[in-house]
Amino acid sequence: MIPQASRSLADLAMKLAGDIAPATQTEYAAANAGLMAMLLLALAQEQERAAAVRMLDIDEMKLLFRAAQDQHPDAPGAGQRASYCEREPKSLLISDLDRFHAEGLEALIGLHAWVDEEDAALDRAIWDFLLHHTERHKFELPPL
Amino acid sequence: MVPAALEALGLRLCGYLQAQWGEPVALAGIEQIPGGASRETYRVRLDLRGLERVVILRRDPKTSLIDTERAHEYRTYEAAFRAGLPVPEPLFLEEDPSWLERPFSVMAEIADCSSRVADLAGDEQAEVRARVGAEKWALLGRLAAMDPHALGVTSFMPVPEHPAARELEYWAGVIDADALHPQPVAAAAIRWLRAHLPPPSDRLALVHGDYRSGNFLFAPDGSIKGVLDWEMAHVGDPLEDLAWSLDPLWPWPDRHLAGGLLPREEAIALWEQASGMRVDREAFRWWQVFASLKGLAIWISSTEDFAHGESKEPILAVAGWVMTDRQNRILVDRLHPDAPARYAEPLL
Repeated sequence: MIPQASRSLADLAMKLAGDIAPATQTEYAAANAGLMAMLLLALAQEQERAAAVRMLDIDEMKLLFRAAQDQHPDAPGAGQRASYCEREPKSLLISDLDRFHAEGLEALIGLHAWVDEEDAALDRAIWDFLLHHTERHKFELPPL
Repeated sequence: MVPAALEALGLRLCGYLQAQWGEPVALAGIEQIPGGASRETYRVRLDLRGLERVVILRRDPKTSLIDTERAHEYRTYEAAFRAGLPVPEPLFLEEDPSWLERPFSVMAEIADCSSRVADLAGDEQAEVRARVGAEKWALLGRLAAMDPHALGVTSFMPVPEHPAARELEYWAGVIDADALHPQPVAAAAIRWLRAHLPPPSDRLALVHGDYRSGNFLFAPDGSIKGVLDWEMAHVGDPLEDLAWSLDPLWPWPDRHLAGGLLPREEAIALWEQASGMRVDREAFRWWQVFASLKGLAIWISSTEDFAHGESKEPILAVAGWVMTDRQNRILVDRLHPDAPARYAEPLL
């Protein structure tokens, strides 16, 4: 096994963008090689952080759900959120993390829709979460 | 060397054109053109009794970034061409799949032009860049000023009573149908847009639907010779195209020049001058947020196409990963209570 799969993916991306794309015979092939190089770089970043960013999202969503439970125990979806806070992902496989992450995001969407009208502070906390969430999941890509 | 499958496609097209024109048509060359993810696009060089003619073939893909009707797009090209707008001359629409396995259209090539605005980024290109920008938004203003009934497009496009409401619900439906993972940013944006819906538009126009850098051809002197990719055209509010053209995604990551061409306010002034309209800033705030949501909907839909469709075009995957990420950041930037303005200018 070569450690650091993300590094290998990034190296392959640079090879594709720097050597292979310019040597292609047509504009179509060159453009697609460039796009695939961009994707490999993105996937390299995702491979490295995938578990961490999902777990951070899950932990922060649980904090929001507990805050909602404390302040609005009778709000719609309270039972679903309480159940979520008591559970963990089935395993650290990305597919299992994704399923649990998706369940949390569905509950978050419901809570956000409700607090829009009911609780400005919690609304803002959810927007802060979305800011952190999108920053965590962003791709930093050089021009290729 | 032309791959065999590509050459076979070119030869079959020649057979079709020979049947249409009633004279011998030989294949001189064929190459696929990148971009235009909603259709497979090819440049085909023909030999007509020793005379060269170049046409553009647009064939339906197995799956597409944007699900649109080819006849709708073709008839829009015809209307724009009749009205004197710079578009490629539409030659044939063929919906019988027996010719090329899937429906297709054929257009005249606009030669010696480029669509690559990124190539104009350097200081030495400043003059050409400014001319492209000036023409881009003046042309869009000209389109906004045209009566869609007089253009003839209302014979095949519905005329909405409330364009903003119709567009929002259409794209919200696309997200609902195609999202493979919950989309909390899109959901928040849809709620904001529903809560702040502007009144029905005062004036209706033919909306291009994807008017951005990359979707027009310009000559080396900076004059725009062809507006392309009308597959999302519809009758609607002209502010929709203006907001879409100014979305921070297009010049990413440098947002100081709209579309990589001109400062935003300059672009708006050119549009106002050409259209004879003043931008209603309150309504425009809504259309700017909508533009970013529509972009997100397209990227989400392309993710679904890549994951479940037959086409594995890399552009679909790029849209699903990279563009979704950027558009999410733009929307959060615009709707967060602090509006951090890291990725988007503050709403106008």
